[in-house]
Amino acid sequence: MSIPVYILKRILQTLPLLFLVSVMSFLIIKLSPVDPLAELKLNPSISPQTLQAEKVRLGLNLPIYKQYWKWLSSATKGDLGISTSGEKVSDRLMERIPNTLLLTIITIVITWIVAVPLGIFAALHWRSTTDRILTVISSLGMAIPSFFFALLLLIFAVKTGWFPVGGLTSVGFEKFNIFQKFLDMAHHLFLPVLVLTTISLAGLQRQMRGNMLDILEADYIKMARAKGLPENMVIYKHALRNAINPMVTMLGFEFASLLSGAALTEFVFQYPGLGRLILEAVLKLDINLVMASLMIGAIMLILGNLIADILLKLVDPRITLD
Amino acid sequence: MINKKNLIALILILFTAIFLFKACVRKDVPETIVKSTAENSLKVIKIKYPGEYKTKEINGVEYKVARGIPGKFGGSLHTSTIGEGPKTFNPWSAKDATSSTIGEMMFDGLINTDAYTGQTIPQLAKSVKINKAGTEYIIELRKGLKWSDGKPITSADVVFTWNDIVAAGFGNTSMRDNILIKGQPPKVEAIDKYTVKFTTPETFAPFLRQLSLSIAPKHILEPVIKQGKKTFDAFWGVTTPPDQFVTSGMFKLSRYIPAQRVELVRNTNYYIIDKLDRKLPYLNKYIMFIVGDLNNEVLKFESGEIDMLSVRGENVARFKELQKRSDYTLYNLGPDTGTMFLSFNENTRKNDSGKYYVDPVKQKWFNDVNFRKAVDYAIDREGIVSNVLGGIGSPLFTSESLSSIFLNQKLKNGHPRSLKVAKNYLKKSGFKWDKNGKLYDKWNNRVEFNLYTNAGNTERESTGVMIKQDLEELGLKVNFKPIEFNVLVGKLVDSLDWDAIIISLTGSPLEPHSGRNVWSSTGGLHLFNQRTGKYLTEQTDLKPWEKELDNLFEEGARTIDFNKRHKIYDRYQDIIYNELPLHYLYSPLRIYAVRNKFGNLYPTPLGGVTHNLEEIYVKN
Repeated sequence: MSIPVYILKRILQTLPLLFLVSVMSFLIIKLSPVDPLAELKLNPSISPQTLQAEKVRLGLNLPIYKQYWKWLSSATKGDLGISTSGEKVSDRLMERIPNTLLLTIITIVITWIVAVPLGIFAALHWRSTTDRILTVISSLGMAIPSFFFALLLLIFAVKTGWFPVGGLTSVGFEKFNIFQKFLDMAHHLFLPVLVLTTISLAGLQRQMRGNMLDILEADYIKMARAKGLPENMVIYKHALRNAINPMVTMLGFEFASLLSGAALTEFVFQYPGLGRLILEAVLKLDINLVMASLMIGAIMLILGNLIADILLKLVDPRITLD
Repeated sequence: MINKKNLIALILILFTAIFLFKACVRKDVPETIVKSTAENSLKVIKIKYPGEYKTKEINGVEYKVARGIPGKFGGSLHTSTIGEGPKTFNPWSAKDATSSTIGEMMFDGLINTDAYTGQTIPQLAKSVKINKAGTEYIIELRKGLKWSDGKPITSADVVFTWNDIVAAGFGNTSMRDNILIKGQPPKVEAIDKYTVKFTTPETFAPFLRQLSLSIAPKHILEPVIKQGKKTFDAFWGVTTPPDQFVTSGMFKLSRYIPAQRVELVRNTNYYIIDKLDRKLPYLNKYIMFIVGDLNNEVLKFESGEIDMLSVRGENVARFKELQKRSDYTLYNLGPDTGTMFLSFNENTRKNDSGKYYVDPVKQKWFNDVNFRKAVDYAIDREGIVSNVLGGIGSPLFTSESLSSIFLNQKLKNGHPRSLKVAKNYLKKSGFKWDKNGKLYDKWNNRVEFNLYTNAGNTERESTGVMIKQDLEELGLKVNFKPIEFNVLVGKLVDSLDWDAIIISLTGSPLEPHSGRNVWSSTGGLHLFNQRTGKYLTEQTDLKPWEKELDNLFEEGARTIDFNKRHKIYDRYQDIIYNELPLHYLYSPLRIYAVRNKFGNLYPTPLGGVTHNLEEIYVKN
């Protein structure tokens, strides 16, 4: 099957899946006991008429299936509706998505640039002191919860004053020249990126090391060495090409976490990304916003898998798309 | 197999784990009462009334003269707001506090509240004259004032705001609810370019404060209004470029960066001047950081990114300690307006399916004033303040908050805790104790009820535990159940099936009438005896004191004279104090930390820290 046909087929398969995800998400949100009007109901200066008007505005007076239908029919037309505070959901998402992407892409690039060579290095120097030190560090990295690490760094920032406490830009940012702007953002991004890279670096490095170790044991590597190929050729031409396959699948998952993977860290560092927006939306049961974010998460995951499969096909000619 | 080395490592890990968990274990209530010293050493600020504002005419413009000392221009003030930041910059359609605050900074109202006395003072208005009957308000505007685009501010703008925006139901409709008197909006007409007359359908004292409503520029908003309510609600939203705003306030939006900060810049043509005739405000910029939670706000203050912070109970002692070697001062603004209370459900009605909202056995206790008094005497308010608030609060006995200008001075100190008095009240109603000290009523029912509050609010949860202990000393059995906030609200306003509850409502320190929804027998938040459906119209079961409260609130609204009103509201607080539909518990103290670099900083209990923002300046 050629790649475009395969993509088309996968996308068609996706539609019923997305529909089911949306139905389930909607039902689960509606089952939660959160009442978006609870605060208003306890406000002595809000009249019953105003309360009723709010109910109608948010569509809470309709039965659930009608509310869902209302959401679905506008969502299929590309209109994500309005948030409880009356702004367009798409506007709210668009003001945050670039910030989150900036953070996650930097993280992914740094992680991969560092983790893959480190993994190879550790595998080649199996059981050496360096390998052992790397093992300890990556175990630590995998064990520390991201929010806890973020909190520690935040306290560090407050005590030393070396880093700003959250945010992405300083006051007066607009007056900076391009170089100052770059430095200012880098200054703000440093700690969140440090947290996210440390956490994902560990897993990735271990994965790469494991793959490489497996391959180095394989018969064809012994064969290559036996026939007198130079060691560089053996490792980079034969071993690495084969060890990288599982990593490509992981890259697909990384794609899925582009928008949602950093939520906790974003919240601790008060980073103006999607994480804070969605958390607030869930707490206030801002249904259109929550639905939009859940659907984006589902789509990104499906898309990530698709990309991984196609990349796998490209790097490994043995794989066929059926 | 475990060798020696591994064993040692294991033990070390165990110890570390125990040590870490130990820090997480926290008892609900300390066993002994710790008298906090933080409050004793942090006296409520003293205020000195600087006299009335004066008006000064220069080149045909009637300026308002600030009361502080002349300061320096420049600098900025960094504050913060918790949450997701503003949802709109249109103050007429704002529904949340942050949006309203910023909107009101950009658009002035006719009058304002004096932060020292709580009385109204002119703002855009030069004077407000009320006729004897209290139905006609003649308002003279300051001459020569201009919108930020240079167009004059005139009576046409006032008439437009009141008639075409608010009365017509544009924007936030609760604004309209507030100005309706007997279901009708006031009549607003322009007498000449600078004079407006408001006529209310009948005398309604709370109306005066409604005049603080932001005035809108007619020449900008008239075309918007014509396009309908949806367009108006979205107008001047958060995506509007700052240069499109036409404002009248002392600051104007210069930049909004979502989830980070709102930057406002000085209005160079504002109508308040200092004693040297220079146009205020002194500050060049006012920046509001948007922070996600309390802890982050504290961190931002400690790292110097923000200049002022509302310090909560548990942090006060630490901040007090840090103050010695830091660049800020703590100000105690006295008790805040929040009023925490315990209430029993006195509802004796049945729901639609014919079931009693409250178990008839319990109804008898909750409707017995002796029972409620006994509870009131058994609650150890001082103990709650010491233990739950760490001493950063005051016991509360009145339905008006301690900072209210209508506070009943005779009641504010309440009564001491006394189990003996409590027991006497119970005996009067035939309650009795068995040999284990358990309380039974006249009909030999064990006195036991459920006490709810919202889970997650540690302050309320701890208060509940303390009250449970206090009442158990009296022999009552209290099942204390913190439940989810939304479920709690559902019980309070919809299903009405609760016995007792601990919750707080926000009040106004300036206007007792804002509590009418709670106190009026037909109010939507008359929670201790909530009437719904047909009971709202055919009131056969009105208690005498409920009737008196209804009358008092009507009379209070009809009385213009402050002292006469005060007497009426004193009487209403008397009734609450004696009949105890709500048992008021405490008010936390408001404590602010503000950096020392600011001049003209005169915090007041009513106005907070930045009530005179226009004359606050950065020293050196």
